[in-house]
Amino acid sequence: MRLLDLLASAVLLAGLYATMAYGLGIIYGVLRIVNLAHGGVIMAGAYLGWALHRWLGIDPLLTLPFVAAFGFGFGWALYRVVVRHLPRGAAGGVQSLLLLFGVWLVMRNAAYLLFSGDDQAIRTDWSTRALRLGEISLPYSRMVVFAIAMLTLGGLHLLLNRTFIGKAIRAVAQNPDSCTRVGIDVERIYAITFGLGSALAALAGILGATIFSFSPSFGTTELLKSFVVVVMGGLGSVWGTAAAAFVLACAEVFAILEIPSYLTGAVGFVLLVLVLVVRPGGLFGRKVLG
Amino acid sequence: MRKVLLLTVLVFACKKSEPAKAAFLVGATLPLTGAEARIGGFYKEGYELAVEQANAKGGLDVGGKKLPVTLTLLDDTSAQATAVSLADRMINSDKVDALLGTYSSHLVEAQSAIAEENKVPYVNGGGGATDIYRRKYKYLFGLMAPVELLGEALMGWIEEQQVSGKLPKPSKIALVWENTAHGKDFRKGIVEFIKGKGFEIVVDESFELNAKDFSALLNKVKAANADLFLADAHLPDYITMHRQYVTSGLCHKVVSYGARGSEKGAADALGAKNVEYVLSAVWWNRQLGTKGLTKDFVDAFQAKYKRAPEWYQALAYETARALFTAVQQAGSTDREKVREKLAALSVDSILPEGKLSFPEALGQQAHYAFVVQQNQPDGTSPIVWPKTVANSAGVAPNPACAR
Repeated sequence: MRLLDLLASAVLLAGLYATMAYGLGIIYGVLRIVNLAHGGVIMAGAYLGWALHRWLGIDPLLTLPFVAAFGFGFGWALYRVVVRHLPRGAAGGVQSLLLLFGVWLVMRNAAYLLFSGDDQAIRTDWSTRALRLGEISLPYSRMVVFAIAMLTLGGLHLLLNRTFIGKAIRAVAQNPDSCTRVGIDVERIYAITFGLGSALAALAGILGATIFSFSPSFGTTELLKSFVVVVMGGLGSVWGTAAAAFVLACAEVFAILEIPSYLTGAVGFVLLVLVLVVRPGGLFGRKVLG
Repeated sequence: MRKVLLLTVLVFACKKSEPAKAAFLVGATLPLTGAEARIGGFYKEGYELAVEQANAKGGLDVGGKKLPVTLTLLDDTSAQATAVSLADRMINSDKVDALLGTYSSHLVEAQSAIAEENKVPYVNGGGGATDIYRRKYKYLFGLMAPVELLGEALMGWIEEQQVSGKLPKPSKIALVWENTAHGKDFRKGIVEFIKGKGFEIVVDESFELNAKDFSALLNKVKAANADLFLADAHLPDYITMHRQYVTSGLCHKVVSYGARGSEKGAADALGAKNVEYVLSAVWWNRQLGTKGLTKDFVDAFQAKYKRAPEWYQALAYETARALFTAVQQAGSTDREKVREKLAALSVDSILPEGKLSFPEALGQQAHYAFVVQQNQPDGTSPIVWPKTVANSAGVAPNPACAR
């Protein structure tokens, strides 16, 4: 077994996990809501990218800004129309779970209606090609996902630390009541954050669609993995999310050295339980958002 | 004595005369929405064609009387609980005479238990796992040959290539299978076949259904330096795994994903070049339709749906036809009589060996050889095995590895 090969696989897989999880993490960090519609937005992003590629022949990479804009618009509208009516904080916990789960179900069934249950995939010139470095092969599709995961990480860091909106998001995450007193439109920040999280989910969807086949049920496994990554990283921590994605990917990939392949998917959940028992605040304590 | 006679007369007088049956009522559920919606739709086409053909002749000939077929087809949403409750409703509220099965082993397994409890004949073409039939149900009949035979059919062709010197002896096998009843049966078929023969399993790994990342598993396959890559996967896993297989730079002398390989959707998703020479084994292939019943079916299907049938529609069609044949042979719609005729059925069929029966010793699951096909560079997938129906010799070793 080539350890270097496995390490390369783990790094590239980590890129995918991180991209999937950022959106879930940022929404929880600011609104304290677990966005169960995250899986639905991932699926919608995949279908939107697929439709643009199939019907207009646009390369999935070129559709990224459009898909992100769609995700932002969807998230913003979802917040304004539905989520803002929920009670804030712990009081709204159960309602938000039920409501957003319902939204996810509606999205999934709408996709069945529109696209049927057929498995789809996005194929481009680069989707089945790989860069060969000796014995190691690095698929272009996964390198693209990894690069975008890194860019997103950098972009989020800049947004949260160098822009007024970002600073407002962080401030609202820490204390929304004080923000209201100093003139920050908290509702607007919440809507922007929900939009931002959804944009990241839609991006993850189209990137995932360049690697996997997908159907309307796409997003379920992705939501679960995202949840594991976000909790492990420390709820609300962007850097923690990236680091946890790497830990999870390494654990899953290297697990095959010791356990049967079909059990490697469970490794993440075992890790989650361990982290919750040993470090309930996540592996990486420092929080960027809150 | 007079009292007895009087009582007898009264009993006969009071007994409600059985209303003459106006139709043969068949119930069925299919996964028309949900994860299995695509295939559910295919099965629906097969059922509807069979019913349409039966009714075009005025209905079934039941004891000298023509009885039209009324099919109640409901959507079980690919969910076990729905499949079970709808079957219960059709049996106890709609009073159907028999049930046609749904698609997918786990749905058939759950639904057939309801039919058995209520003593209703349940004929299905969508459940292939042998576990379903090991329960020895009396009212359950299956047209899907066991998946074990799938592995056996693939190995039949591979062994012939080995005997003719095209593959090394011993050949090292990387055996990769989904962790489901389907995958386990596939593995069993291969493992049983190679006993005492010139093959050696160097990787024997299962994977989670709908897994997203196979890179670690494929690394293991790469390290094992196998000659043959034999996997068993559903369509989404086939697409995902084979994409990673190709980008990992893997190439084996024989590549198979069990029943998957020749689907147009897979060629679109992976690129025609990347699915060349992939070997697959299926329950039916339209290239069998050159004469007799099979040709009639292919022609009728093409006339109705303006495209060629796949094995899904063929199995559904034959499932309904088997039930209708048994009803006609029974000369009655009585559930018990129909069951008896199904159990004793032996008729000409569109299935690969041309005969259909439900052997009691095998839990009333039909047994016949799978059809092995291999993708060619021109986009066709000719039959390469068994020899009796093959229209091509097939290619081994995989020429793509030399490129």
